[in-house]
Amino acid sequence: MSGPPQLRDVEWRRLDARMLLVHPVQEAVRFLPALLVLFITGRTNQRSPWWDVAAVTAVVLLGVSRWFTTRYCIQHGQIELQRGLLKREVIATPAERVRTVDVTAPIWHRALGLAKVEIGTAGGHGVERLVLDALSATEAASLRGELLHRPVAAHSELAQPVPSAAAAASAADATAVEGEPHGTGEAETVLLRLNPAWIRYAPLTTSGLVSAAAILGFAFQLFGDAVQGREEQIGGAISRAQALGLWALVVLVLITALVFVSMLAVTGYVLSYWGFRLTRHPGGTLHVSRGLLTTRATSIEEARMRGVEVGEPLGLRLAGASRLFAITTGLRRRESGPGSAWLSPPAARSAVDAVAAAVVGDRGALTGVLIEHGRAARRRRYVRAVGGAVVLVCGPAALGFWWHWPTGVLAVLLVLCVSSPVLARDRYAGLGHLLTDRHLVTRSGSFSRRRDVLARHGVIGVVLRESFFQRRAGLATLTATTAAGKQGYHVLDVPAGRALDLSHQLLPDTVSQFLATPALAETPPHSPRGQQMLSKGPDNRIY
Amino acid sequence: MWTVEALVLCAVFAAAQVAWWVLDRGPDRSVHVLVAWVSAILAVCYVAVMPVWRYRVHRWEATPTAVYTQTGWLNQERRIAPVSRIQTVDMSRGPVAQLFRLASVRVTTASAAGPLHIQGLDVDVARALVDSLTEATIAEAGDAT
Repeated sequence: MSGPPQLRDVEWRRLDARMLLVHPVQEAVRFLPALLVLFITGRTNQRSPWWDVAAVTAVVLLGVSRWFTTRYCIQHGQIELQRGLLKREVIATPAERVRTVDVTAPIWHRALGLAKVEIGTAGGHGVERLVLDALSATEAASLRGELLHRPVAAHSELAQPVPSAAAAASAADATAVEGEPHGTGEAETVLLRLNPAWIRYAPLTTSGLVSAAAILGFAFQLFGDAVQGREEQIGGAISRAQALGLWALVVLVLITALVFVSMLAVTGYVLSYWGFRLTRHPGGTLHVSRGLLTTRATSIEEARMRGVEVGEPLGLRLAGASRLFAITTGLRRRESGPGSAWLSPPAARSAVDAVAAAVVGDRGALTGVLIEHGRAARRRRYVRAVGGAVVLVCGPAALGFWWHWPTGVLAVLLVLCVSSPVLARDRYAGLGHLLTDRHLVTRSGSFSRRRDVLARHGVIGVVLRESFFQRRAGLATLTATTAAGKQGYHVLDVPAGRALDLSHQLLPDTVSQFLATPALAETPPHSPRGQQMLSKGPDNRIY
Repeated sequence: MWTVEALVLCAVFAAAQVAWWVLDRGPDRSVHVLVAWVSAILAVCYVAVMPVWRYRVHRWEATPTAVYTQTGWLNQERRIAPVSRIQTVDMSRGPVAQLFRLASVRVTTASAAGPLHIQGLDVDVARALVDSLTEATIAEAGDAT
C-alpha cells in the first residue's frame, strides 16, 4: 500500500438534487412560528415589506445550504456522513455494524420520487441512526442493497437461507404465503402479503383507543371554546337527554364511542399496513414494506435477528388472530408506538404461524406445548387478580353504598369483582415456557399476551429475581438478557429449581461454576426430549 | 455504609415532618403526632433490619469466565454475565461510600437490562476487580452482542 488513502480518491456522494426544492420548505416549516410573528408584527407596525422578503430569503438559503453541506461516502468498510454549516459534524460508522436500513417515503417525497434512508447500527446501549434525507428512490434501494449485502459474505456461515421449497411447503394458508421460485439470483421469496380481509381485526387492537384518547384531548380544548356561544342550545340538548333516562344515555354514548374507535382503528390499520409485503432476499435479509400515504420499507439482516415475538392481545386472541414482531438488534428500542420491527400486521393466526415458522425455522418453538409453572404460580395469579380486584372495588363500593349511588354502578363494580377469577385463570393459562435446542420460548399475560421466541445464542446473561412473596412460594422470575428487542425477556414465576436448571441450560459453562452441587443436565420428568442434546454452549462467541 | 444511608433517608423524612409541623397553623396536632409515631417506628425498623439483611444477602464472585452477583433484601436478585459479553466496567464512589473507603463496581453488557452492580467493596478490592475484568475483556474479540 502506498500510504493512507487520500481524500481525493474518495468519491463523495450528495443528496438528490430535488432536495433543493424540499429543504427550503422543510426549513420554512421549522421556522414557521418565527416567520409568522415577523409577518404579523410587520403588518401592524407598518414596517417595510423588505424585512419579510429578507427573512424568507434567509430561510430558503439555509435550506439550500443544507444540501450543499451534506455528503456521504462508503469506502473501506466505513460509512461517513458529513453535514452542518456552522457546526460541522462527521459521523463515521463501520459498515459491519449496520443492522437495519429503513427507507421511508412520506407522500411529498414520493411525489418527487425521493426516499429518506435511515441506517441503524448497534452500538453499546443506544442505537445510532444515520439519516440521509433524501435520495432518489432508485439510489436508496441500491444503497440498501450495498449496505446489507456487503457484510453477509464474511458471515455467510451464520445466515440461514431457507430454500424456497421449504417456504412453499410450510404454507398453511394459501392466500397468505406464496413461494416464488428462485429464477435469477436476485429473486425474492414473498413470505407474507396483506390480505384485505384482515382489516376486520383492526378494531380489536388498542390502536383505535390510543388515537381516540388523543383526539378527545384535542376535542375537549375546542369544546370549551365552542360551548361558550351556544349555552341555550346545549341546555335544550341536556334536558332532552335527561328525558331519555340515564341507562339509555349511557348505552348510546357507549355505542357511539365504539363506532368511533373502530373507525379510527380501521383507518389507522389501512394507513399503516396497506400493501404489506414481507420478503426474504437470498442474500440473507428480510424486507418489510408497508404504508399507504407514507411508505416505509425496513430491511432486517437475518444474521442479526434473535427471534420473534408473537403478540396475542385479548381482542385478537378471541378472534383467532395475532401479530408478529422481530427481535433484532439495531432498531429503535420499541416504545409504545409502532416501531419498525413488525413482521406482520394483525392477521389470522394460521398466516402468522406460517410466517413465523418460515422466519425462525423452528416449528417446535412456535407451536410446542409450553411447560406449566405449577400450583404455586397458579395460586399467585389468583391471589393477585382476586385480591387486587377486591381492594380496588371494595373501597369505591363501600363509598358508593354510603353515598347512595345508583345501583347500576354498584352492579358494575360487583361484576368486575366477580370476573376477576376468570382473569386469573386466563393469566395462568397464558403462563408457560419451553426450551428447544435453539430457542427459549416464554409466554405470559392475558390482556396483552406475548409468546417470545428468543434464540439461545442471543442470550447474554441471566437474572434470577425472587421477590419476598415469590421466595415464600418457592418461585422465581428468570430474565434472559439479550442485546436485541426488549433487552430482556422474562420467564415469570417458575419454580426456583426449574429457573436454575433453565439458566444452567442457557449458559452451561458460565452458570455451572457457580452451582453448589455439580449439576448434570437433569431433565425434569415432564420436559420434552429436545433439551437433552446440547452442543457447544450458547455463549460461544458468535459476535 | 448502608446503615448510614438509611439514616440519611430517615433524617430527610423527619425533617419534612418537622417542617410540616412548623408550617401547619391548625390547632389539632393529633394527626401530626400519629404520623410522627408511625414513621418513627417504621424508621427504626428499617434502619435496624435493612442493612443487616442486605449484607447477609449480598454476594459476588468473579471467575475468569463469568461474574456473579447477588443483591437485594426484600426482593433478591442474582445476576450472571459471562466475561465474553462484558462491554464496560465502571467504578463509582458516592459521598457516604467515600467516608467509609468503599466503592461500587458496575459491569455492563450489551443488553440494557443486564448491568451488574457490586456495592460496598473495599476500594482496593474494587480497583483490582476493575483491572482484572478490563484485562479479561480486552483479551476477548468481537463486539459482544
